[in-house]
Order: sequence, then C-alpha cells, then structure tokens
Amino acid sequence: MNESRENKTILQMEGVSRFYRTRGNVFRGGGRLVVALSKINLSLRQGEIFGLVGESGSGKTTCGRLIVRLEEPDEGRITLGGEDITHLKGKRLREYRRQVQMVFQDPYQSLNPQVTIADSVAEPLITHKVGDPLDHLERVLRVLKTAGLSPPEDYVYRFPHQLSGGQRQRVAIARAIVLEPSLLVADEPTSMLDASYSAQIFEILQGVRDKLGATIMFITHSMASARYLCDRIGVIYRGHLVEQGPAEQVINAPKHPYTKALIDATPKFGRSELVPTYGTLLAAERPATSSAGCPFFRRCALAERLLCAGSYPPWRQVGPRQVALCHFAQEEVPPPPPAENAARGETGAP
Amino acid sequence: MEQTTIKSLKAKRRALWRQRFMENWRVFLRNPLGRIGMSLLVMFGLMAICSYIPPMINPMYHPMTGVDPDVVSSVGPSWRHWLGTDFMGRDIFSQLLAGARVAFLVGVSAAFMSVVLGTAVGMTAGYMGRFTDTALMRLADMIMVLPTLLVVLMLAALFGKLSIWMIVLMIALFRWPGVSRIIRAQTLSLKQRPFIDAARVSGAGHLRIIFRHIMPNVLPLAFLYMTFRVTSAIVIEAGLAFLGFGDPGTVSWGMMLQWVWKTGHMFQAPYWLLPPGICISLITLSFYMLGRAMDEVLDPRLRDETQAG
Repeated sequence: MNESRENKTILQMEGVSRFYRTRGNVFRGGGRLVVALSKINLSLRQGEIFGLVGESGSGKTTCGRLIVRLEEPDEGRITLGGEDITHLKGKRLREYRRQVQMVFQDPYQSLNPQVTIADSVAEPLITHKVGDPLDHLERVLRVLKTAGLSPPEDYVYRFPHQLSGGQRQRVAIARAIVLEPSLLVADEPTSMLDASYSAQIFEILQGVRDKLGATIMFITHSMASARYLCDRIGVIYRGHLVEQGPAEQVINAPKHPYTKALIDATPKFGRSELVPTYGTLLAAERPATSSAGCPFFRRCALAERLLCAGSYPPWRQVGPRQVALCHFAQEEVPPPPPAENAARGETGAP
Repeated sequence: MEQTTIKSLKAKRRALWRQRFMENWRVFLRNPLGRIGMSLLVMFGLMAICSYIPPMINPMYHPMTGVDPDVVSSVGPSWRHWLGTDFMGRDIFSQLLAGARVAFLVGVSAAFMSVVLGTAVGMTAGYMGRFTDTALMRLADMIMVLPTLLVVLMLAALFGKLSIWMIVLMIALFRWPGVSRIIRAQTLSLKQRPFIDAARVSGAGHLRIIFRHIMPNVLPLAFLYMTFRVTSAIVIEAGLAFLGFGDPGTVSWGMMLQWVWKTGHMFQAPYWLLPPGICISLITLSFYMLGRAMDEVLDPRLRDETQAG
C-alpha cells in the first residue's frame, strides 16, 4: 500500500500465486491445476498485527506457509526488509528463518511427542547456534514465562502429552519467539482451543508485539478475533485478496460483498437467529460463465451478470487506507459502464 | 537464574526419564505374556552364563571336546551326567548350556543387524521418497520373496561349511526387508505431521529432522520388530544346523538335534532328543511373548487412551 508513512514496510508480497496440481494419471485424467493463491499483493508494516481472514480452503494457510518458506510461490516475489526471499536456499534460507517464525494451528500435532518441552523450545537456539548451550535452559525458562507458562520450572521437563491444549500452544508460541523474530505468522492458533484459552493466547500475542516489537500475521477464520487483535485486516476469498484496510473500518464499514457476508455470518450476542445486515450472500451458487470474471461472482447477491461475470474487478479506494476488489465498491447504487473496467489482471493496489 | 534452580531442574529431568521408564515397565509387567516371557528369558540367560562353568569343573564336561573316558556309547541321565551323554560320551547338559549361548548370540546379533539395516533403509526410503524410495523398496521386495533358509542352504553348499558369524550375517542380510517396509510406512506418516514442519521452521536441516524428530518415533517400533526377528533368526540357525550346514565348531541346539538324528538315537534316547527341542521352542516362544508385551507398551492407541484422561 502507498501509505507507509509512519511505519516502514517489513514484508511485501507482490503478485504471489501458488498452484497445486491434483494427483492424477492416464485413467483419471489427472493433473488439474488448483489455484490456492492468485496474485496476492500484501505488505506488512513493522510492529503491526495483520489479520488474514477467510473461510476454509481460501488459501490463508498457504499464504502463511509461503511466508515462512515451507513452500515456494509459483509466481511473484516476496521480500523481507527489502531482501528477496522468494527462492532462498540452504544457508541463506536458514538465516531467513531466524527472523520469521510460525505458530501452527494444531498444538496437538505441532510438538514432537518424543521431545521434552525444554528441548522443543530450545531447538531454534541449537539449530541457529545462538548463545552458549549452557545458557539455553535459562533462556527457555524466560521465554516460557513470556508465553504465559508460570512457573516455567514446572513445565520444562515434561512431554507434550502431559500438557493441555492451551499449554501446548503456549509452548509452541515460546518456541516461535525464542529467537526474537521480526515476523511471526500465527496460523489459527486458537481454533483448536476452548474460547477461554483464546483470549489468553491473544494477550500473549499482543505482549509479543509490544515487548519484542515483532510484526504478527494472524491468520483466522473468525472476524471477531480479527477485530479483537488486529490493526489491519485483509480478507481472502478463494485465493484472491478481496479487501484490506484498518480493522475498525473493515469491520464497521465493509465494502466488499464477501466481507459483508463474513460479518453477517458472525453470531451476534443476545440473538438466537442470524439476522443478515447486508445480505450479500446468495443462498444457492450460480453457475459461472467464464473464469475471467470476479472470483466472488458465483455467490454474490449484488453481482450483475454482464459486468461481474465477464471482467475482473479493479482495486478501488473505498476509504482512508481501505481498498476493495469490487466493481461496485465505492458507490452504493448504480454500476459504472462495463467497458471502462474491463482491465483484466489489474490486481495491484491503485 | 541461581545455581540451585538449575540443579533442581536437572534432578527433574532425571526424574522425568525415570518416571517414563517405570511407567512403561509397569505396563509391561501387567501383561502376563510379558512376565512369562521375561522369566523364561532370564532362565535362558542364566543358562548361557552358566555354560562357562562345567568345563571349569572338569575338562570332560567341555561341550565339544570333553569325552568321558568311561563311556563308549550314549547313556541316560545319572549324577555324573545330569542329562546323559551323547554317542561318544560328551555331556548333554553342558552342550545344552552352550547351546543357549549360541542361540542368544545368533538370535540377538542377527536380529540387531537386520533391524539396523532395515531401519536405515526404511527411513531413507520413506524420507527421500521418489526414485530412492522406489528403488529401495523394489530391492526389498526381491529379497523378501527369497526363501531365506533355502538360499542360505545353497550358499552353504556352495562355499562349504559356514562359520557361525557368516550364518548370522546371512540371516541379517535376508531378513531386513520386512522391518524396512514397516519403518518406511511409519516414516511416511511421520513426515507429514506438523511437528516436522515446525522443526523446519525452527531451522532444522534434513539430518536433524531424521535423527532428532523421526528416529525417536520409529525406534520403539524397530525395537519391537527386533524381538520378532530374534525368533526367526534362532529358528533359521537351528534348521541349518539340523540339516548339517551349521558351524561345525560350535554346539547349537540344532546341531545337537542333528547328532541325535544322524547317530540313529531319535527314538532311543529321549533324554538327548527332547531337551534341545524344548529349548528351541521355549526360547522362540519367550521372545515372541516379549514382543507381544512390548507391543502393548508401545501401541500408540493404547497409550493415548491411558494418558489422555
């Protein structure tokens, strides 16, 4: 985005795409391409918490995995602090991983059952040869305390199965912040936990940002938790980033119909039934006529067949620092003439 | 951090491993099969250790070379020879003890070698995938379909008498594919688990992932398969020796059976025929029972159930 006045940009994704090829053979007519991410443009500013919101299968986890380089993008460029990290290998990839860490979704799966908590948390210190091995334990204790496990002495020499889900997720956070990374990707860290633990995990993440000055990319499917935690929100639908902007604005004045649909889908406290405020989601999907149109066309109640099915929408500035990928984004009523907006593939920021 | 807390943490760490061992040991002992197998094995172990004693008492008790000068043919049990003597006056009891030693040696070393080989191959194939995987697994298939006993027999016939270590090596070389298949399957499933991704994000390289993260998770399984491999190694060695292709320099139970049969005492000297036969059955049975009991200790489902609550 162009408003990086106060804060400098730390991570930038430019036109990043990722495809998966389905398994297939001669008989099953295989090798179909599935688009997980399509030309994502994103930038994270130093010290912010950026929320990436989307439904299951929308590519938000893939986005996180690309950033920590568990996968390589098929197209586009990712830079961290100006350095291109898209295709790093070997030693330089290892250097990069000192700065970028990840917290995984499932704390029951992300800790090795045969490794003690102390060894799990100390692993990044060992692989990156940080500090004196004799001091590792001390550092582990300190970081466990930061992650909200206290007294840490009680936890270091246990196996993961002796801990609860919330405690395990704190261990996973401790492992991710032990190197004091500049960027932390948190992939739905609370989706496997009870609601009461979620708030605590959020607090820990906020603490990480405040104390270490780390930038956090918070991946979630829940608008509510994104609102609670994030400074800015990006909404992703089927691999396309459809709206992004400051959290308050995106929540209170969503401009993209999919964002509106997500907010409609959030249960409101004190109401027994869902009352849609915006009603932008079609009850039944309509068939798409071409793949060139708007990614949300098939489920969008506002879509006009001529315009939306045929041409890819442009990015529109819809508020201060808020943009949406929709033909109708700014105006409430009439659509502009179709011919002007036929610029397919113009996915960059305005 | 004061020195005292570090010290107390070290104690905690030791306590953790001790607790883990005791937990497993308790599960193991709760299993009746485990108890029976363990006590039988202790008995055989004692036999193997005691096999050094009779030749020390009197050279005529030496299992291979000691011949009782007063005996010219096989005689039954007596105070002088607890289980009688064989056709040339050698003491059967001391042969039986020496046989236990050979059985342990063959069984454990052949099983150890084949499990080490099988684990290495299985982990390599599972972790590397693609061409390496295919090549190694097809090789394993080829070796797996060869009948071990027959091939070793043919090799023995080709090269003359094989020494006991050659036999051990042969058994190891022909019995690894089963282990490697299982280890490969386990490695494949472990490789997909998120904690491997987490280790990669932590900066771990391939070697560290293999040795620090995958190996501790497959070793219990490898260890379990070792007990089953011991059984098959002992049976193969006994079969070879019975058929006359054993190491002529050692006294194994199979060898004893061969002597009984060759000298025509099969139905005349039960005191000579039965002990080695029973010993072979019991030692394979006890290793098998040990394996079954360990299976219960290591079975992840059983484990999760007991520990989730």
